[in-house]
Amino acid sequence: MASRIALSRLAPSVARASHARFVGTRLARGYASQGGHTMTVREALNAAMEEEMLRDENVFVLGEEVARYNGAYKVTKGLLDKFGEKRVVDTPITEMGFAGLAVGSAFAGLRPICEFMTFNFAMQAIDQIINSAAKTHYMSGGVLPCPIVFRGPNGAAAGVAAQHSQDYAAWYGSVPGLKVVSPWSAEDCKGLLKAAIRDPNPVVFLENELMYGVTFPMSQEAMSDNFLLPIGKAKVEREGSDVTIVAHSKMVTHSLEAADELAKEGIKAEVINLRSIRPLDIETINKSLKKTNRLVVVEGGFPAFGVGSEICAQVVETEGFDYLDAPVERVTGADVPTPYAVNLENLTFPDTNVVVKAAKRALYRSN
Amino acid sequence: MFRPVRIPRLSSPLLSRAPRTSQRRGVAGTTPEQPTNALGTLPTSSSPITSKLHFFNSVTSGEKQIPTYRVLDGAGQPIEGAEVPEIDKALALKMYKHMVQLPILDETLYNLQRQGRISFYITSYGEEAAVIGSGAALAPDDEVLAQYREQGALLFRGFTVDDIMNQCFGTYLDSSGMGKQMPAHYGSKEFHWHTISSPLATQIPQAAGVGYAIKRDPNRRGKNCAVVYFGEGAASEGDFHAGLALASTIPTPTLFIARNNGFAISTPSSEQYYGDGIASRGPGYGVHTIRVDGNDVLAVYAATKEARRRCIEEGRAVLVETMTYRVGHHSTSDDSFAYRPRKEVEDRKRLDNPIMRFRLFLEARGWWSKDEEAALVKGFKEEVGAAYKRAERLPKPPVAEMFSEVYGGEMPWNLREQKEELGRLIRKYGRTWEPWRAELKKHKGEGKEFLD
Repeated sequence: MASRIALSRLAPSVARASHARFVGTRLARGYASQGGHTMTVREALNAAMEEEMLRDENVFVLGEEVARYNGAYKVTKGLLDKFGEKRVVDTPITEMGFAGLAVGSAFAGLRPICEFMTFNFAMQAIDQIINSAAKTHYMSGGVLPCPIVFRGPNGAAAGVAAQHSQDYAAWYGSVPGLKVVSPWSAEDCKGLLKAAIRDPNPVVFLENELMYGVTFPMSQEAMSDNFLLPIGKAKVEREGSDVTIVAHSKMVTHSLEAADELAKEGIKAEVINLRSIRPLDIETINKSLKKTNRLVVVEGGFPAFGVGSEICAQVVETEGFDYLDAPVERVTGADVPTPYAVNLENLTFPDTNVVVKAAKRALYRSN
Repeated sequence: MFRPVRIPRLSSPLLSRAPRTSQRRGVAGTTPEQPTNALGTLPTSSSPITSKLHFFNSVTSGEKQIPTYRVLDGAGQPIEGAEVPEIDKALALKMYKHMVQLPILDETLYNLQRQGRISFYITSYGEEAAVIGSGAALAPDDEVLAQYREQGALLFRGFTVDDIMNQCFGTYLDSSGMGKQMPAHYGSKEFHWHTISSPLATQIPQAAGVGYAIKRDPNRRGKNCAVVYFGEGAASEGDFHAGLALASTIPTPTLFIARNNGFAISTPSSEQYYGDGIASRGPGYGVHTIRVDGNDVLAVYAATKEARRRCIEEGRAVLVETMTYRVGHHSTSDDSFAYRPRKEVEDRKRLDNPIMRFRLFLEARGWWSKDEEAALVKGFKEEVGAAYKRAERLPKPPVAEMFSEVYGGEMPWNLREQKEELGRLIRKYGRTWEPWRAELKKHKGEGKEFLD
């Protein structure tokens, strides 16, 4: 019921649309290739699910509004028509309940894709994700496998305040037994979602609502039905030799924009798109660090005990420490519950400008 | 409870389409008509319209409590009008033997825990009929998701006393989980028994998922069901409500068995719910429901058998509430005499003993004698004693087992690195430093997987 009533709230939010759309169109211009294949993140996710459902009868999608309504964000669009009610399942509003159903069905041999309307609502299901999905394979000595993908939008959106604007990468990233993926581009989304569906483990797949409508170029390879990206491997999105900027999800956009800005001043920033949170590809980060000797970590989550904190810790515990010529800086969301008012919200999350400043600080080019 | 507002938000292009908004405008512009039926109808319900201002608080007519189905009286004789379920001597004796054996096994393991030889245990005292009566009514390959007090039903399926001991002692022969799950949390692929999960009630929506997988499998659809056990305390968890709602809205052959034993650790059922037990909740979810005397093994057997039949035939959830009494403490972490009088427990044991009730039935049929009883008890005590001594002497799982099965498939680098680090230390100290050498001896293979 609440979800229906919620629609009446749409009108007051329209004022914010310009901001959100701006991000979308700007990116679309920025990344769409000339003449080649392109896809939005939403289409890439949809294609990944469709291809894997065609490939394996055991794959099915469940969640609130995923079937008839085509998903709250239309990521599951058309799947009901293609695969029918047995494989695209609308559930009552109980995250704990349908996550539990997904876990049980995975124990019993199926491969569920469990969509949360947002990961903010998955808090209700976190016991099923952590205590059951992540642990049972181990605790049963391998008797009960749990191949399952928990997916949905994660992190801050726009204008929806603290209970809808949280990044769960650090929460799930701390749990043994889970794999955690936080893709950025359409290629990331397609290759990693397909890999997550085929993975024999529970994978938490953290999408970003603000990225759904963004268009990216797709390589010929990425258009193929067998395009898989390895979970646990980061990607160097832009090579550089002066400072390493590590980011995941939407923060990759800001980091690449920051690299453009820095280039105007002759600074060559290397931008690493983490892609996976767990396992964390510290090797790629250290390799880059050996070249640049400076590290800035960018994320949309809270600063404390976050992905950036973990990267810092792993760097100083490994050979990366010996290569550091400047303190590592974490660029993160502010340590407050996300406020609603647009001016406050804008101040809460890192933008391109903040990343530029942090990179310069790492280079002792500003204070 | 306030529900977080769900807004398909602005970045998504769907908003510009806003199909619902335009529909709503259309509705607003329609002229209302006089309904043809004077009372009108409700848009989403066939509820009859009434002029009576009547509240209700019962699922039965006449505001009575839901009745309890019973077959045998306290003397083991069929009550008036009761139909004794079809049960042959072999099955009756198998059930009875397991009922007698269960408290013997429980007592041994309980004492082993008290002596500090295992870390935890949980007994089934008083609930032998509820557990074994229901377990006996299932097909051996129905998928069971138990809570933690149903080891009787697992033993009934063929899990051995050695299997129990190897799990509780965490030996390398632990078939449940290679020493990775705490005592009394059994699991078995062979016996279709899902590994017990400690957080209460997680198994309930999972059972709906197992039921869903069975429904999807042409080889099992119409033949098997998922069976989930839980206590009346666990039924307060949201998972219970979610599980019932899911198994009824996404219809699946899922059989819900509540063991209402009167206590959730120290909380009596009178404080656990104000309504009419667990059974009253079934109809709320459109689920066939029965309440049964959980100390009457034949009633539990008959009710579960019929519940299973309906569950599979209709492919829908069914709920059975077994009314029993937890004679033992909650677990080895609990002393129940702190919150209930010893006399109450003693009276219950004496006046309503499920084992005695079934024994009187068997004796009346000439199927059982005192001599057979004595031989059974003696033989089983010896079997249990020998089994725990065997298990206690067995080595623990190999050291490397610590890292296996965290993930299926290839081991991620962070685990491989931890494993390699441990290997390096074992190679350095394992043979030379006495504390490590002694410790390694407790493990199967003595760390050989690292030393060679």
